[in-house]
Amino acid sequence: MTSSEQDDLRLLRESTRTLFERAGGSGRARKLRDAGGNFDPAMVRELAEAGVFGVTVPEENGGLGMGLAAGGVIAEEVGRVIAPEPVVMTVGLSLGLLRRVCPDHPKMAQLISGDSVLAVAWQERGPGGAPGEATCRYADGKLTGSKAWVAGAPGSQGFLVVAEGDNGPVLVLADASATGLSVDKRTQADGSSLGELSFSGTPAEQLAEGPAVQDALAEAISDATALAAAELVGLTDSAFDITLDYIKTREQFDKPIGSFQAIQHRAVDLHIMREVAQAGVREVLAQMDAEADPKRRAQLASRAKARAVTAAKKITRDAIQMHGAVGYTDEYDIGLYLNRALVLSAWLGDDAYHRRIWFDAREEEGAAQ
Amino acid sequence: MTDWNAISDADFRKEVRGFFEAEYPEELRNLSHRPKFAEIEHWHVKLHAKGWVAPAWPAEFGGMGLNAAKLLIFYEEQQRWGVNRGRDMGIQMVGPLIIKFGTQEQKDYWLPRILSCEDIWCQGYSEPGAGSDLANLRTRAEIDGDDFVINGQKIWTTMAHDASHIFMLVRTDPDAPKKQQGISFLLAPMDQPGVEVRTITTLSGEKEFCEVFFDSARAPKENLVGELNKGWTMAKALLSFERIFIGAPNLAQNALGQLESFARGRGAFDDPVFRDRFAQAALDVEDHAALYTRFADQLKRGETLGADVSMLKIWVTECFQRITELMIEAAGPDGGSIGPLQVGNVSVDVLASFYKARPGTIYGGSNEIQRNILSKAVLGLPG
Repeated sequence: MTSSEQDDLRLLRESTRTLFERAGGSGRARKLRDAGGNFDPAMVRELAEAGVFGVTVPEENGGLGMGLAAGGVIAEEVGRVIAPEPVVMTVGLSLGLLRRVCPDHPKMAQLISGDSVLAVAWQERGPGGAPGEATCRYADGKLTGSKAWVAGAPGSQGFLVVAEGDNGPVLVLADASATGLSVDKRTQADGSSLGELSFSGTPAEQLAEGPAVQDALAEAISDATALAAAELVGLTDSAFDITLDYIKTREQFDKPIGSFQAIQHRAVDLHIMREVAQAGVREVLAQMDAEADPKRRAQLASRAKARAVTAAKKITRDAIQMHGAVGYTDEYDIGLYLNRALVLSAWLGDDAYHRRIWFDAREEEGAAQ
Repeated sequence: MTDWNAISDADFRKEVRGFFEAEYPEELRNLSHRPKFAEIEHWHVKLHAKGWVAPAWPAEFGGMGLNAAKLLIFYEEQQRWGVNRGRDMGIQMVGPLIIKFGTQEQKDYWLPRILSCEDIWCQGYSEPGAGSDLANLRTRAEIDGDDFVINGQKIWTTMAHDASHIFMLVRTDPDAPKKQQGISFLLAPMDQPGVEVRTITTLSGEKEFCEVFFDSARAPKENLVGELNKGWTMAKALLSFERIFIGAPNLAQNALGQLESFARGRGAFDDPVFRDRFAQAALDVEDHAALYTRFADQLKRGETLGADVSMLKIWVTECFQRITELMIEAAGPDGGSIGPLQVGNVSVDVLASFYKARPGTIYGGSNEIQRNILSKAVLGLPG
């Protein structure tokens, strides 16, 4: 990375951080959760004005054309204040799909400008849940079947659905208010919801079909996975800082508990863990920008998510322990970080899952050589 | 004289790699023990003729004058090809100290002898009562006429039985108000009646550490480097580069490579639990390397490294140990067997790796001491 690129990223980090801080930092996350768990559409538009959603979209398609490393910088800032806005979902999945299969579609501009949010419905329950094995059907302009684990479903104006068409996979767009669509909400630890979608003859517009859909989906999932890792890195960083402040001020036996060696050594280990995670994930994002091979990019994304989840799990759990009894209350912010980490860890695969994917890709690569 | 810093990193790497690959004796690659000088003398002669004995020293003193970026490349290539560091205590520790704090006479006398290995050095820092608490050292040096008279004991002195000289921290003012004060840096010849060396046999059966006993041993007064009673500060000033060096990824990377071929040969990858633990270790190594790069880049930009660089050492030494535990696990019933284990066409000495991984968490400031330092200097935790 050149030093002017470094400067660009630094500026982007500062402006994103300022935007979130002005909006109320992590306190905003609590308010939104208490108000029902939806993100704030006004905040979505503000983020859009700052160029956040189009960060990886090429300039000729209305974006900033900056790459995943820049997306990661933004995602880290999102994680730092546990903002519920669907930044990674939009940058990684929705726009990640659209910019690859239909970069000229008017929805692109609406997503970039924050006027619209689209959730991506690509998974299904049961053995056919993997990409390429969709049982949700699209025929004669109508969808039938179901989709599961749709992040950002409440609050989205529509769904990008990967379904099985007459000539193989299709990507279609269904309006959130379309007939024959029902959305079951499954509430998550952080107050957000996953949607369980069921379609019966739901009208939808076809955006793309054929192998290009699967290819774009795989790439978008890689992007989103790596960006979710970056979001976890930001979250973990804050969770540790909050904990560090706490152990410096909380007194027992007439001393700050952070003066006890047992606490100090644990704190150092958590600190090392967050630094390794930050360095690893940032390196992955930069490498993904320089890598064209989709398989290799997927493997890199798995490395990032495995690392970020490992660190986030350990640090948010230990943060609760170091806070002691108050860590178990809803009153302290540290619990919000734990709950958000639970959701982000499970989304798009946890550490054990990604280690498996990473290892299998490594074996495949080794066998090919 | 070549200005190595003026050529590109890539060209420099090529040059270094080319030399090692062409000239380094095959039988000395990846030695699992610390060699005596006689064993590697033929290599040292070549290196000396090339002018590459002291990569970090300024060119005016016979070094290569490498900046931090080039130095890292040099060491990376050295480790990549399994080039033994040789008997480099003089090069790494004494030389830089004399260059920085020594008199002109000291430079003229000692530096060429260090480069040629006419003198071979060992490091006398630790004592039975001064390990992690190094400033607690008690070995006394008192002025008697033109000499210092030395009494006391050093321990964990690496390769003292194959050294002609020892550089040591000695107590010259026992009444100083703080124990860090009153310590001096002194050079002493080993070949004299008042010096006795006993080797220590390690867990792995090697004899690379020694105890050194001083019973009215003598060193001329001009062997004091720097000011009297200022040795502690000087010795500390030397450590900054060493701290990134002992946190380098190579040992763990090499061990991971060994683990992989061994585990494959043993069929250990058929076990999903083992696969996951291997993946964890491999990712631990990769992500450590990313953090190492961050610090190396800092050095390359000419910045000074802070206390946080110790993170690298803590992580990588513990990671190295986990990797060797996996080797033992993959060895199954052979996990207690000494010597190389043959699998297919690879031979891996599992226990040698295991033992090799032990001292890393102890030396150079034990990992517990490093955690103490990080908790105060980096995290700002109280008392």
